[in-house]
Amino acid sequence: MQLLDLRGQLDRTSQAFFRFRRLGPERTLITNAEGRWLILSDADFAAYATGAVVEGSELYRRLSDGNFLRATWDEAKARDMIAARKQFLGYGPNLHVMVVTLRCNETCVYCHASRADMDATHTDMTPEIAEKAVDLAFMSTSPSITIEFQGGEPLVRYDLVKHIIEYAKAKNETAGKTVEFTMVSNLSLMDDEKLDYLLEHKVQMCTSIDGPKDLHDKQRILPTLSAYDAASSWIEKINRAYVDRGLDPSLYHVEALVTTTKGALGRAEEIVDTYAALGCRALFLRPIDPFGFASKTAKMVEYPRADYLRFYAEATDYILELNRQGTQMIERYAAIFLTKILRGEDPNFLDLRSPAGAGISMLAYSYDGDVYTCDEGRMLAAQGDQTFRIGNVFESSYRDLVGHPTVRAMVIASNLDSQPDCVDCTYNPYCGIQTTHNHKTQGSIFGRMRESNVCAVHKGIQDYLFGKLADGEPHVLEAFERWTTVRAREHFLHDGAGSADGDP
Amino acid sequence: MTMIEGIPEDLAHVDLDEKRAILDLDASLYPVEALYGAAYVFIDRCYVFLDRPAPQKLRIVVTPKSLEGGEAQLRQVVGELANELVSAAWRHQITQENRARIEAVTMQAISGAMGPPSLDDLEDFDFTDEAFEDPLGIAMSWEEKYAKKSDPAEETAAKGEEE
Repeated sequence: MQLLDLRGQLDRTSQAFFRFRRLGPERTLITNAEGRWLILSDADFAAYATGAVVEGSELYRRLSDGNFLRATWDEAKARDMIAARKQFLGYGPNLHVMVVTLRCNETCVYCHASRADMDATHTDMTPEIAEKAVDLAFMSTSPSITIEFQGGEPLVRYDLVKHIIEYAKAKNETAGKTVEFTMVSNLSLMDDEKLDYLLEHKVQMCTSIDGPKDLHDKQRILPTLSAYDAASSWIEKINRAYVDRGLDPSLYHVEALVTTTKGALGRAEEIVDTYAALGCRALFLRPIDPFGFASKTAKMVEYPRADYLRFYAEATDYILELNRQGTQMIERYAAIFLTKILRGEDPNFLDLRSPAGAGISMLAYSYDGDVYTCDEGRMLAAQGDQTFRIGNVFESSYRDLVGHPTVRAMVIASNLDSQPDCVDCTYNPYCGIQTTHNHKTQGSIFGRMRESNVCAVHKGIQDYLFGKLADGEPHVLEAFERWTTVRAREHFLHDGAGSADGDP
Repeated sequence: MTMIEGIPEDLAHVDLDEKRAILDLDASLYPVEALYGAAYVFIDRCYVFLDRPAPQKLRIVVTPKSLEGGEAQLRQVVGELANELVSAAWRHQITQENRARIEAVTMQAISGAMGPPSLDDLEDFDFTDEAFEDPLGIAMSWEEKYAKKSDPAEETAAKGEEE
């Protein structure tokens, strides 16, 4: 059935606002402004489109429950759900990325951060800059803030990481915010003393595992050592330490990310098996970004996004099969989308919301004190493009930063209701765009979604997920239910004044 | 002048000697805001000239700053520019239709992030009526600017009477 077949019979009075997308034979997805959805058979969609739905029928009940009929449209129901999805608009930046150095002991073929050599000490952040950055982070209107240590390799400046943690905790004695610390590290410079300190101060650790040892070591080169061995041995040790502290391993474990390169395509199951063997309960199958060294090594690492989507489906199918066999594991991209689709909530992943979080929900503080709207902004700056620089810790007030014209422009550009294609897209309630990616690849922060790799990936993943929802296999629905059950990792939360959490 | 493969000749053609491409547009199809917006995206890579060769025609001439790829590069620039024009024109229409919603979300996002001003912010705020220096009198009202000046002698006399 094509919509064209219904020409001349279309009814324009009985439906409430909706968007639709053909997923395949007998499957048309409809969504509305607040993000409720239904998958209709051809006959049901034809009845809906032509105004032939019989009052009192099962289809009428489904459409009415989903707020798709004008006769029963419930404004309050729509308003409340939209408000719940946009709750993040009420608060300022909660994610504060501290680039403590650009130095790194590993050389990754795609390094998005444009790392510096180990003797490039001029790319180290000073304690004065770090304190100013923390001061700004604490001025956020958000009641909770996450300080994320990035680099380069943040363990190169372990001394500064410690200083920031202690300065922030002391500051929080009076600020009274909920504070979290995370560190993005290749783990190769970890030692027992550092680990004890990081565990004691409840710093969440995140690393990269690009796949099996040969693939990881080919893409992430560590002089004299195997980068895979270095990372994997510490992952196992850290995960054991969580268990020793009585923490639930399904909730507390090293988070690891895959950067999907051309070399990873075709090795989906091996990559998933690698994660399972390491005890990692979550994978984030991210496609490669065009920032940093990846823009220079594109011929080696890039690929058509249709190939990525085949890889994604293969890997996620396999993860679902492992779940069916009893190995609990989630794919993060899917979990983010599914939380929006199935729960009607926004998990606040900053690149996947409308408007995106750059500037209003995150700030990135570079080693030299310059402040950027987001992590990608500082990555572009490392390549000589200062478009997303919005100030400096010594010169800018908090309100100068979040009210900066660049931030306002990015908020407008990433609002899907201002974007061609997105405005009519069935996935509008669940999606988001990356203005930095648009700027880098298409020359403007608005971009052209029909030609955007990010859009292709987001549409493709949602096609896959809604396809699974339409298939309705019980073990898949059960896994999706688990993937979207948000359990707070309270162990990592540091509360300030008046807290009785007994922080060290 | 050479036509570009796959692109109608009356809409776009290239001048390989001059290393430039020329797009002729129907002015009724593209708002001028879209023309500016799309052309601006290319100024890092090209020199861009806008023209109105006839009342209902708009012309964009693009000259890549570096033409290493020859005709193929010009074809790519023209294709991208044409797509950007369509995108900018539609975006212009959408932002007009959804202006209230976009403004509301933007205002909520920025005000939510900024929060209320602190006392320090208020101390730094310029509350005077003189928002900026205006030596040319651009911000003056017509009455202020062109009202007949009073005679200084009369003013002095009036002042004396008051005293």
